[in-house]
Amino acid sequence: MMAIINLREGIIQVKIVYYGPGRSGKTTNLVYTYNKLKERIKNKLSSKLITINTKGERTLFFDFFPIGLGKIKGLDLKLQLYTTPGQIIYNSTRKLVLKGVDGIVFVADSLSSRREANIESFKNLQENLSYYNLSLSEVAMVFQWNKRDLAEEGIPILDIEVLEKDLNSELNLPSFPASALRGDNVFKTLNVAAKITVKSVIRKLLGSNGDEKMAIGG
Amino acid sequence: MSFVLKEEQVENLEKILNKIIDEGGATYALLTDTGGNLLCKVGENSIDGTSLAVLSAANYAATKEIASLIGEKEFSLLFHRGQTENIHFTRVAPDILLIVLFKPYLSLGLLRLKVNSVKNEIKDILKV
Repeated sequence: MMAIINLREGIIQVKIVYYGPGRSGKTTNLVYTYNKLKERIKNKLSSKLITINTKGERTLFFDFFPIGLGKIKGLDLKLQLYTTPGQIIYNSTRKLVLKGVDGIVFVADSLSSRREANIESFKNLQENLSYYNLSLSEVAMVFQWNKRDLAEEGIPILDIEVLEKDLNSELNLPSFPASALRGDNVFKTLNVAAKITVKSVIRKLLGSNGDEKMAIGG
Repeated sequence: MSFVLKEEQVENLEKILNKIIDEGGATYALLTDTGGNLLCKVGENSIDGTSLAVLSAANYAATKEIASLIGEKEFSLLFHRGQTENIHFTRVAPDILLIVLFKPYLSLGLLRLKVNSVKNEIKDILKV
């Protein structure tokens, strides 16, 4: 199960999931993206942002919204963005959000104290993907090192080299330092994630290299 | 299952869904995969089908988890009753859900009969 191409509607529908430890800023990424897009393309957003939260403002189920933009091989591209709940106890819901995933943005927490949590969550992602017989090499993925802005407030954060070594040393995937709260590199992350996801989907479904140009928002 | 939906397939699926509306008395019908990807929909246009597909898939998955908690494989009937609208969820193929909206004065049993009668037709079109 993967991306869907509907030739009647002329759309290609792709699912991108924001994964990462609890409170790393996955929801913040989505809320920022949603609000910016709403400002920019107003009525063209095809759906509302759906958030299913628990009391403590933590994501219980997922946040979701689709964005339709650009054309790939004459088909309208529709991205469905999801977050997963990061908290350990919600593994069953996290697993179900990964069903049919085409691309992943792994949002790591730059806080020094969250180093173990990042590694733990990354392992958990691999386990949950293997539940669907997927491995990291088969899913399009990018990393985001979030909360870089905390350094300015004198809060100890992990060096980017440390994050790279912990999570990205084998895969060597695209990675972006970011501040989802301020919006720094939020669109950049999504843009690259969308691009490589669509490429891999087109390669899998249509057997071409999918070298189309596309850009999203800022 | 890889998924390219041909124009003809979507048209045939819509015909079947329309049968549930015309002959079964439903107001809206939608097909989604269990990953939340909307396949097609017919009926009242004001409903946000994309969101309904996503939430229904999540609802189905959550219910399945509940079933396994109490030692059931899955629940065969998943249905919510509202003031002016009822909603009925059925798994019609391993990875495909059919969601039907219908008015409370309509008999649930009759609707289920109708839904059951189109199950195989949907499977045939999707080749699942």
